[in-house]
Amino acid sequence: MVDPHDRSDRFELIAACEEGTLARFANNVLADDPPLSVRQEPRPQLLLQQVRDPVERRPFNLGEVVVTPAEVDLDGTRGFAMLPGKAERAALSGAIVDAAVAAGHAETPEIVAALEDVDARQREQRRRDWAESKHTAVEFETMEGQE
Amino acid sequence: MGYVAVTAGEEIIERAEQLFEKQRVDDNVDALGVDQIEGQLGRLTGQAMSEGGLYAPRLAALAVKQAQGDTVEAAFLLRAYRSTLERFDATATVDPGEMIASRRVSPAFKDVPGGQILGATKDYTQRLLDFDLLEGEPGDPTAEWDLDDEGDPERLTTVTELLRSEGLLHEPEEPERDEPNDTTRESVTHPPERDEVLQELARGETGAVTALGYSALRGYGQVHPTLAEVRVGRLPVRIEHPYTGEDVTVTHTEITESEAVVPVYEKRADPQFAFGYGLTFGRNERKAIGMTVLDASIQLDSEAEPAERAEFVLDTVDGMDSFGFIEHLKLPHYVTFQSILDRIRAIRERQGLSDDGRVADDQPADSAVAEASDDD
Repeated sequence: MVDPHDRSDRFELIAACEEGTLARFANNVLADDPPLSVRQEPRPQLLLQQVRDPVERRPFNLGEVVVTPAEVDLDGTRGFAMLPGKAERAALSGAIVDAAVAAGHAETPEIVAALEDVDARQREQRRRDWAESKHTAVEFETMEGQE
Repeated sequence: MGYVAVTAGEEIIERAEQLFEKQRVDDNVDALGVDQIEGQLGRLTGQAMSEGGLYAPRLAALAVKQAQGDTVEAAFLLRAYRSTLERFDATATVDPGEMIASRRVSPAFKDVPGGQILGATKDYTQRLLDFDLLEGEPGDPTAEWDLDDEGDPERLTTVTELLRSEGLLHEPEEPERDEPNDTTRESVTHPPERDEVLQELARGETGAVTALGYSALRGYGQVHPTLAEVRVGRLPVRIEHPYTGEDVTVTHTEITESEAVVPVYEKRADPQFAFGYGLTFGRNERKAIGMTVLDASIQLDSEAEPAERAEFVLDTVDGMDSFGFIEHLKLPHYVTFQSILDRIRAIRERQGLSDDGRVADDQPADSAVAEASDDD
């Protein structure tokens, strides 16, 4: 079970969260006008995806993935987020949300509940996708003696 | 002969571009949204991402819309966008065995562990036009499925792992270097390393990869593989978290993978299998299989057949390269042509083939002359 209070788990949940949800929480966190500095502007960047060739067990570069990282300092607590694709608003919001939970902001229970909801929906989607795929599992029979 | 600049009215060029843009909004039909392209034309966006070497589904949908469905043009747009971005880092190296597979078939092993999972495919059906689609979408045909609870996705044992566990696949030697060369930053030198071949084929143009792979099957090569498995699924994109130092997943890329057993190597003294391998962004099985054939062919390192020559394959397989070179021929080459024309006239004049060695202005250029206008 993932734990939104854990920094690594929270990173993954924020990365999978919808922009609207992150933006709403970020706005709530910033409503009291806390000191905020942007350590890394949210700008699309590239991750070079490296894969291990299963034959020779050597890594090779499959290609690049567009992601948008952002980092903030919220009243002395750092927050970092990286969202898939070109997602400046979501990434900055995500970094603020990450810092808010790390600092134990008053909004934390709602944020944690929303991130747990993201986890539950992800799990349900994965199980659904897997069940659909397994529904197409087939056993091929060889037709011996038949040409 | 070098290039000589030509000028034309900027306004006219803009008009031509506007006419192109108009084609998308013509006919009073609803505009095609980027969401629709991303959701309903996933093969197209997958191909653009694969050939662009850039995974970004929404931007790929935008590129497809902007290019009016021209996949190579869309891939070009993605590569151009990519060139404006900084690189954050490389991901943690992921083992394709970790793939969350939605489809896995093994033509080689009937009883492959984990089973044959057909997934979403029309492979085993007739290719007939479905005229009902003209009337709109019939709805979700899986809505009434009574699904068993299969739990969380299982990691499927790959055929490579299976063969290796039985000692039928060689144990690889320790690589001479850990970091693969990035062919987008450093040009490939020949003979190429295997990681360079795989990266270049992964971003190769689908038609070119398919055609060259087909050439080997068609008799211009020795490789006729049996596919160990073809898999479609999602591969995690992981980075090291800057605060915790732990590997964390940012997202997943949808990929297609193909592995092939290559019987040609059975001629060797050591009776183990050798393999061909293919992996690419998006759902694109014919490209992954074509890549597998080419990977196996290139390992033969022969000058005898096109598909077995790494330099030939890697020089012709990239869509941006071939697109650029082929399509540049339609740009103005007036000076090139005039120069060749003058040369031909001079020769004809010297040989007394015409009174004055001139081609009449209203006659089309001789085809042999036009074909010779290879200035660059």
